[in-house]
Amino acid sequence: MTPETSEKARTRPPVAQVEEELGKKAFKLSEWMAQQGIFLFTAVLVLFAVVFIDGFASLPNLTDVFNRAAPIGIVAAGMTFVVISGNYLDLSVVAQVATAAVVLIAVTNAVGLLPAILFAIAIALVYGIVNGIAVGVFKANAVIVTLSTTFIGLGVLRWLTGGSIYFGDSDGPIRTFGTTRIGPLPLAMILFVVVTLLLSLVLTRTNFGFMVRAYGSNREATRLAGVNTPLVVIGAFTMSALGAMLGGFVLAAFSNTAVSSMSDGYDFRALAAIIVGGTSVFGGRGSVMRTLLGVVFVSVLTNIMVLSGLGFGFQQMAIGLLIVLAVSVDALARKTRVS
Amino acid sequence: MTGSSESEHAGRGATATSTPIIEARGIVKRFGGVVAVDDVSLAVAPGEIHGLVGENGAGKSTLMRVLAGVLAPNEGSVFVDGHQLDPGNTREALEAGVSLVHQELSLVPEMTVAENILLGSTPTRAGFINGRQQRRIAAEALEEIGVTVDLDEPISRLSVALRQFVEIARAVARKPQVLILDEPTATLTPAETEYLLDMLKRLASRGLAVAYISHRIPEIFAICDRVTVLRDGSLVASEAIGDLTPQSVVQHMVGRDLQLDLESRRQDPDIGDTVLSARGVRAPGVNDIDLDVRAGEIVGLGGLVGAGRTELVRAMIGADPRSGGDTLITLGGTTRRITSYRAAIAAGVAYIPEERRSDGLALTMTVVDNIALPNRSALSRAFVLQRRRIAEFATALATSVNLRPPEIEREVGQYSGGNQQKVVLAKWLGREPDVIVLDEPTRGVDVGAKVEIHRLIRELADGGAAVLVVSSDLPELLELSDTIHVVRDGRIVGVLSAAQADETAVMALASGQQEVDVA
Repeated sequence: MTPETSEKARTRPPVAQVEEELGKKAFKLSEWMAQQGIFLFTAVLVLFAVVFIDGFASLPNLTDVFNRAAPIGIVAAGMTFVVISGNYLDLSVVAQVATAAVVLIAVTNAVGLLPAILFAIAIALVYGIVNGIAVGVFKANAVIVTLSTTFIGLGVLRWLTGGSIYFGDSDGPIRTFGTTRIGPLPLAMILFVVVTLLLSLVLTRTNFGFMVRAYGSNREATRLAGVNTPLVVIGAFTMSALGAMLGGFVLAAFSNTAVSSMSDGYDFRALAAIIVGGTSVFGGRGSVMRTLLGVVFVSVLTNIMVLSGLGFGFQQMAIGLLIVLAVSVDALARKTRVS
Repeated sequence: MTGSSESEHAGRGATATSTPIIEARGIVKRFGGVVAVDDVSLAVAPGEIHGLVGENGAGKSTLMRVLAGVLAPNEGSVFVDGHQLDPGNTREALEAGVSLVHQELSLVPEMTVAENILLGSTPTRAGFINGRQQRRIAAEALEEIGVTVDLDEPISRLSVALRQFVEIARAVARKPQVLILDEPTATLTPAETEYLLDMLKRLASRGLAVAYISHRIPEIFAICDRVTVLRDGSLVASEAIGDLTPQSVVQHMVGRDLQLDLESRRQDPDIGDTVLSARGVRAPGVNDIDLDVRAGEIVGLGGLVGAGRTELVRAMIGADPRSGGDTLITLGGTTRRITSYRAAIAAGVAYIPEERRSDGLALTMTVVDNIALPNRSALSRAFVLQRRRIAEFATALATSVNLRPPEIEREVGQYSGGNQQKVVLAKWLGREPDVIVLDEPTRGVDVGAKVEIHRLIRELADGGAAVLVVSSDLPELLELSDTIHVVRDGRIVGVLSAAQADETAVMALASGQQEVDVA
């Protein structure tokens, strides 16, 4: 069949000839900012800090900054799976981090380290499965579900602990983990980097990670490709839960104590790192390495503010502003992409 | 089929019997490079019911939306009572008395009947909603169209038919001079349809000008004074109803000058045993359908938009839930019942959905990722994706479907519609499917890509696959299919072999015109 003999060929001009000219898409600042901005901004910020901030560019300060970023960084790396799957965020990390920390210390004191870790893993799986079933199977809104599971989780924790503080053995394995350094590098910071790399590989190289990205990009197309989509959502929330658990371990190890209120604000701070890194809240776009970069950016910015003597209130305001900016750029970039 | 009046004098511009209240002159509307309406003029007089017919995509709805100021035309103007309307100004068109009853229902389900009828023109007093006046105007509008319904009932609790009438009441409440209805009977039963047609005649007898879009020829002959036929955006006939017959209208719709490329039809296809079989399949919009597709056969599903073809194929393969019936797939002597969509995929089904962008592709992902998606298990080892194998696999498929340019690392969203559809095909070809279900496989696709997609579909059938194609593009349906099943109102109303099928036969079945012959 030649185009000339088809009726449509005569009556309808080929639409796609115009589109055929690929790669000539106009440069969009918002899209560039959303995709590449973080690299430039991080570089500029670090350069600024090195030049203008006294005490920033010293090895002790830098290792301290990244060591302290480890718990939130690990939580954010796990939560990245939920964000990329297009389910906004996992607010229940607040309850999960605190629960993991309390379980690690209290159960280790009572029974031993290994039972404590196994118990914490079991709790993480319950969180992942409950959140995942509500969101993936029943199609409930992820924000409301995880807000509720936070409430449930913190409620149970406070009910059982009465809000008391748990102290670890002063020369036990938890304490050792929190203070050990390999050369100049703290163990927690190394764990942070290793977990990030591992989760990055899971997201980019495994069948599971691929389905998470595909689901976040287009749920219906992914379902119609024969993917068991509820299982993908359960998997994403389980990754987030495991990240929150590890983050809770590290947090507990730092002070060798645990209390139900120790993870306040972790939901928002993890989200800040993810979004600033350039992972889209609309799902489908982003990576764990970007989250790492986001953690670096937020940590350096916070450190600059601390070294400049700006108080906690100011820091909080600045991070809030940063998020509004980042999500607006993300939305703007998406709008120009779609139209 | 013989048309009694086939005068081709039908010029540009209708001649109304009395002074027209609304007049469109030389309307041209383009979407991108596609001309949806091509230099069409139309006039409707007070008291006249003007029928507008044409195939799917002929430009009827677009023209009416231009008339109602919803769309701004590229050329031409609309006049109401001699005054030229500001193009694309919906508010001005409304104030001039042009009311459009939308094809898709545009009611707010959670709000009451009265609130919906006054939506957008809610009466207020000192900033507060004037509930009494709202109810009074709503009651008047409902009385005018002769429908009784509780004003305080939320829309969500009304039947589809009642919602349609509320929609009409909403248009009537604005005291229009011109009422435009776009396929209002698509979801109605015969009795409800009859009621609606009587209502329109009553409204017209009080001096309202009515423009009425319908696929259903019998309705047109029941109420219209004049009929305008559009084909591929152009006006092909505009005549008084007395000068037309159902047959001549159908012939105008499909066009006698249509040249089918029948040589590209498959000659003596090698057809085997039944592979895909629907038994009494029921779903919303699908009434107890039996359908068989054999190995090596291309079965086409013809019919008008909204006839239930998409619903049928989706229910068959489990993409949407069935309310009854079974789908069986028989391969290599074993028959399997298809109980879920994933079971269908596992049994060798490939489904190319109607909505490519929303259902077929992950647009923000690359070509290689999209192709890998349904094939991921075969391309991973111990849960880890074999990236090099995937790249080779995707490159081979992209080449076989002739993706241009064949850059597999490019985001799919950056490709043209035709190339995107090739990616959808490629991702399923990799599974070497035994059953392929395609819904509007070439919609929005350029001519070159269309030819290639047709070639791929024929090759799949030649390779022994059972192919089921839904197409609203009549030439495509006729050129591809070995057997055509025509669907209307969720039922198969006729089965035509390739030899029997032509555009008038399909259209006559699809539009219900044959029922007129019987009656």
